[in-house]
Amino acid sequence: MNQFNYLHPASTDQAVSSASSDGSKFIAGGTTLVDLMKLYVENPSTLVDVNDLPLAQVESLPNGGLRVGAMVRNSDLAFHPTVKEKYAVLSEALLSGASPQLRNMATTGGNLLQRTRCPYFRDVTAGPCNKRNPGTGCSAIDGFNRTMAILGTSDHCIATHPSDMDVAMTALEALIFIEGPKGKRSVPINDFYKLPGDTPHIENVLEPGELITHVEIPPAISTKQHYLKLRDRASYEFALASAAVVARVEGGHIHSVRIAMGGVGTRPWRAHEAEAVLTGKPATPAHFQAAAEAALRGAKPHTENAFKVELAKRCVIRALKVATA
Amino acid sequence: MTDDSTNPAQRRVVGTPQIRKEGAEKVLGRAKYVDDIEFPGMWHGATVRSTIPRGRILAIHFDESVPWHEFVIVTAADIPGNNHIQMIAADQPCLADGAVNHCDEPILLIAHPDKRLLPQAVASVRIDYEELPAVLSIEESESKREIIWGADTSTPNVFKEFVLQKGNVDEAWSSAACIVEGEYSTGAQEHLYIENNGMIADYSDDGGITVWGSLQCPFYVHKSLMAVFNLPEDKVRVIQTETGGAFGGKEDYPSIIASHAALLALKARRPIKMIYDRMEDLAATTKRHPSRTRHRTAVDKDGKLLAMEIEIATDGGAYSTLSSTVLSRATLHATGPYVCPNIRIRSRAWATNTVPYGAFRGFGAPQTIFAIERHMEHIALAVGMDPVELRRRNFLHDGDTTATQQIMREPVILDQLLDRALAVSDFYAKRERYARENATNPVKCGIGIAAFYHGSGFTGSGERRLNSLAGVDVTLQGKVRVLVSSTEFGQGTNTILAQIAAEALGISYDDVEMAPSDTHLIPNSGPTVASRTSMVVGHLIQRSGRQLIQTLKEAANLSDNYTRHDFFAACELLRARDGEVKSLSRYEAPPNIYWNDDTYTGEAYPAFAWAVYVAEVAVDTITYSAEVIDFHTVQEVGTVLNPTLAAGQIEGGVAQGIGYALYEKVQLKNGHMFNNQMTNYIMPTAQDVPPIHVYFEQIPFAYGAFGAKGIGELPHDGPAPAILNAIQNATGESFSAIPLLPEDIFLRFASYGLDPENITA
Amino acid sequence: MSDCRIQLTINGQQTSVEAPPMKRLLDVLREDLDLTGTKEGCGEGECGSCSVRMNGELVNSCMVPILQAHGAHIETVESLAIDAELHPLQKAFLECGGAQCGICTPGMLMAATHLIAHNPNPSLEQIREGLAGNLCRCTGFIKIFDSVITAAAMEGSRTHAR
Repeated sequence: MNQFNYLHPASTDQAVSSASSDGSKFIAGGTTLVDLMKLYVENPSTLVDVNDLPLAQVESLPNGGLRVGAMVRNSDLAFHPTVKEKYAVLSEALLSGASPQLRNMATTGGNLLQRTRCPYFRDVTAGPCNKRNPGTGCSAIDGFNRTMAILGTSDHCIATHPSDMDVAMTALEALIFIEGPKGKRSVPINDFYKLPGDTPHIENVLEPGELITHVEIPPAISTKQHYLKLRDRASYEFALASAAVVARVEGGHIHSVRIAMGGVGTRPWRAHEAEAVLTGKPATPAHFQAAAEAALRGAKPHTENAFKVELAKRCVIRALKVATA
Repeated sequence: MTDDSTNPAQRRVVGTPQIRKEGAEKVLGRAKYVDDIEFPGMWHGATVRSTIPRGRILAIHFDESVPWHEFVIVTAADIPGNNHIQMIAADQPCLADGAVNHCDEPILLIAHPDKRLLPQAVASVRIDYEELPAVLSIEESESKREIIWGADTSTPNVFKEFVLQKGNVDEAWSSAACIVEGEYSTGAQEHLYIENNGMIADYSDDGGITVWGSLQCPFYVHKSLMAVFNLPEDKVRVIQTETGGAFGGKEDYPSIIASHAALLALKARRPIKMIYDRMEDLAATTKRHPSRTRHRTAVDKDGKLLAMEIEIATDGGAYSTLSSTVLSRATLHATGPYVCPNIRIRSRAWATNTVPYGAFRGFGAPQTIFAIERHMEHIALAVGMDPVELRRRNFLHDGDTTATQQIMREPVILDQLLDRALAVSDFYAKRERYARENATNPVKCGIGIAAFYHGSGFTGSGERRLNSLAGVDVTLQGKVRVLVSSTEFGQGTNTILAQIAAEALGISYDDVEMAPSDTHLIPNSGPTVASRTSMVVGHLIQRSGRQLIQTLKEAANLSDNYTRHDFFAACELLRARDGEVKSLSRYEAPPNIYWNDDTYTGEAYPAFAWAVYVAEVAVDTITYSAEVIDFHTVQEVGTVLNPTLAAGQIEGGVAQGIGYALYEKVQLKNGHMFNNQMTNYIMPTAQDVPPIHVYFEQIPFAYGAFGAKGIGELPHDGPAPAILNAIQNATGESFSAIPLLPEDIFLRFASYGLDPENITA
Repeated sequence: MSDCRIQLTINGQQTSVEAPPMKRLLDVLREDLDLTGTKEGCGEGECGSCSVRMNGELVNSCMVPILQAHGAHIETVESLAIDAELHPLQKAFLECGGAQCGICTPGMLMAATHLIAHNPNPSLEQIREGLAGNLCRCTGFIKIFDSVITAAAMEGSRTHAR
């Protein structure tokens, strides 16, 4: 690991002002950052430790929603009674990720900023990577791409977004609250992540020094929810394909539905087209299939990951079936 | 001496679940693995490795940003002796000298007091190469477009070739009712011991070299160090530290890392510790040999095997290492546990520009057993016969001869094992139920079987050549010590050898301890490999114990009905006479064991362990995932010395076999393991293993310790074919290659299209 | 970046170390405090051999920079036995064959301790979930499951603590 400065601010304001310089990084649970620093993928010049900031609360909101502090640990959030009761899709997604040990460390804010598991990104000796070294090229496009994305890719990057939590948050239309040198703002999660385009190293809308303080999850009253994750082994494995479904079903008809996919996109993937297909329709397998086809219409497979197109469709269909059953 | 006279009912120690000798130290966290050991003034070592698969080294550049004067640097020029690792042949350099033949080949070594500075320093050495075309697969090696090994031999690119003949295959084809052909392939597999390879070395002019490390075979390392340093026997000392898993992965590789650590120690004149991190261990150390096996089989209308023609090819990597002996065992297990009058096997180990493949539990047998046990399924289909029945009709029995014309002198109870396996797994009822339910269920369940043997001990004349010596002594503190070079790495060597000694001496388990695993203190009882420790070394301990009792009776008037107190009192009388109380035994081959290395005929193994395994799977045709849902094992391994440890061997081997079949894929890029992290080379977790049921039949083997045969490797042989047979039963689809990943299953089912009605919650 | 002084309580004893802030808790335990019971298997949070409890939570000590452990209570495998008395889990691992090569054992014991602390009578499924972050290559996990079930039935499996 390289040398760096270490700061330990006591307030959010201090944290934000400490982190405005180039090369600054916030450190929370460390489960992504420490790993990538060890691999020399991340080489921050300043680390700003946010563990002591008062951001670890889960609070119910007057509108029936939930406010989740950025420092709430994944395991605490997954087992929070309100989350289990009202946001099952989030609890399921959190518990399907990583291992018990990592969930105890990883935080809500950190998870929103989780980096890809693309092996070319994670190994500095593995060849060019536009995300790691902008402008050098993408080794995955013609390399080992079994686990790579099929949605939202560009000629510069096909790295998959790895998170489960973010997929559930996307289906729940969470709002991300940010504090930065220019003040406070909030961003809907669907506007938070950027497509790789020709700048795959820029993954979200955060400006230098900006810190995620908390997340608000709108109420999801009377919805049926499910998170389905398909992967190579039963635990501690990233998704080959996953689907989060939040649906309101009335009299066998889908009143409204939100679908997000994981393991297949360069960002948590909201399937608006699939939702449009289903809205107002009976909850039947034929409509589920039409929705799945719509969700994957733009999919662009590479040499080794064509199976993920079909797998993702089936994942969406099954998640819809379970959620609406 | 045989144990026919020993009445199992009177045994007190053998056959009981004694607590693991070193167990308390392990659960307390006090057991000392190599990385737990520190010496004053110790530095840390690291390795600069090749980044290309084949080429000539033109220049080595040291980046000026690194204060190199603080480092010790070792190249091939610093090697005082022979720049080769002593294995079967001496073709593998200790450090590359002018040329590299695989990615991650060691080129130079560096050491520094601060281990945190080493990664950056390694990255700051740049090597210029003239790249040469690389050979990266068996097929490319076979094509001989590039000759990368043995250019001066009659079989270039071939490390070893065997041809086995029995009867006359060519005459059998015409009389066959059916001829069945098939090709089967297996991938590389990583041991994934949780403790990486590691070694500490020290050098002094008086004492020579001492190494401490994680290893299976102290005298293999000893032999290599003698050659690399040109030192006599007594100037090289190898001490095994607690070893955190091995599975064959610490049979050959420790000779390399020990040489490296010792070269640095010699130059730095201080202790050097080298511990690989996971990425380096995965990239640079040995794996299971990938293989391709082709079968052509003639059967009559009743399903009897008439002729078997088998062609085996393994990928040996860049140097010969253990490829010839792995190929030998692959060849000798290729026919499965079946009798056939006409057999021809041709097997070859090919050179490629990849990291040398090495020993891994099963040692070639899992590869060819996968092939034959999948092939039997195809034969059954071709002749329209139940695959269980087809196997039964062709099982070896007492008196039959194998491919090497070895006569089965010991009882063979395959029918009994099969019957029990069918019964405990409820095989037929389940097969019927699954077939019924599969018609309407998109999750298809299936049940599959594999029957197999595993030869115990070294192949052919191997044990005679090893000429092992082992025994016991008695310390002044009143403890019996077991004197062996056989090592503990989780499989239970310490415990079972102590049980054998206690039983043979008529004392308690707690009276016995292991002598330190230190080449200065122990005799060479051979390597800890080949499922030989219980049977061969254990038998030497038993004989030594009996011999000591005999001596005590003659020299110290030990009575027939002696107590523990009498025993130790007699030992002290003997010590007063002889100065020590020690009894050693040297290997003696059982009678009727003959082997011809030229024709590859005779007694391939003194004994075989036998097994029938039943796997049950659920294949989700929606998601393409195949899951093992239940697993039954029935085996005959001679006497079970310790039921807890024995079951633990079977369960662990089955889990590794499940990984081999369905999870573990080594992805090579230019011969470099690309997925060299635990996050992308995945083994089964606690949530992936099915229930594993273990049943033993016991037929004592007259020349094994209290009747024991080998057990350690057997359980890795059966799971992969049993699982793929179950998948065939579940889906009707036949797969011939492992690892079998979801996308492989997908490719078959994708063409069937998707009926969304069938996607169930 | 210069060393920082970190105060922490290890196995009930207050201590302080000077270390670079990103030094892993694992290395501080092993190198600075000579508590080598905690093992490194992968260094990437995959294998769980380095599992310890930090403020009552199970974590991978290879993923915890020491700066994050300031003021924390850490429990390692060395805390389980009280004087000569083995923890029920340690006894059960011995009796049931839950330890083979032993390198995953300390981490496995900490994960099992954590599991039983929260759930004194875990089902097999809960044990499988609770140990899902700990890899064992020797046992196939079966005898580890047996060990945890056996320990849970023993007197004092939950209360045994310093």
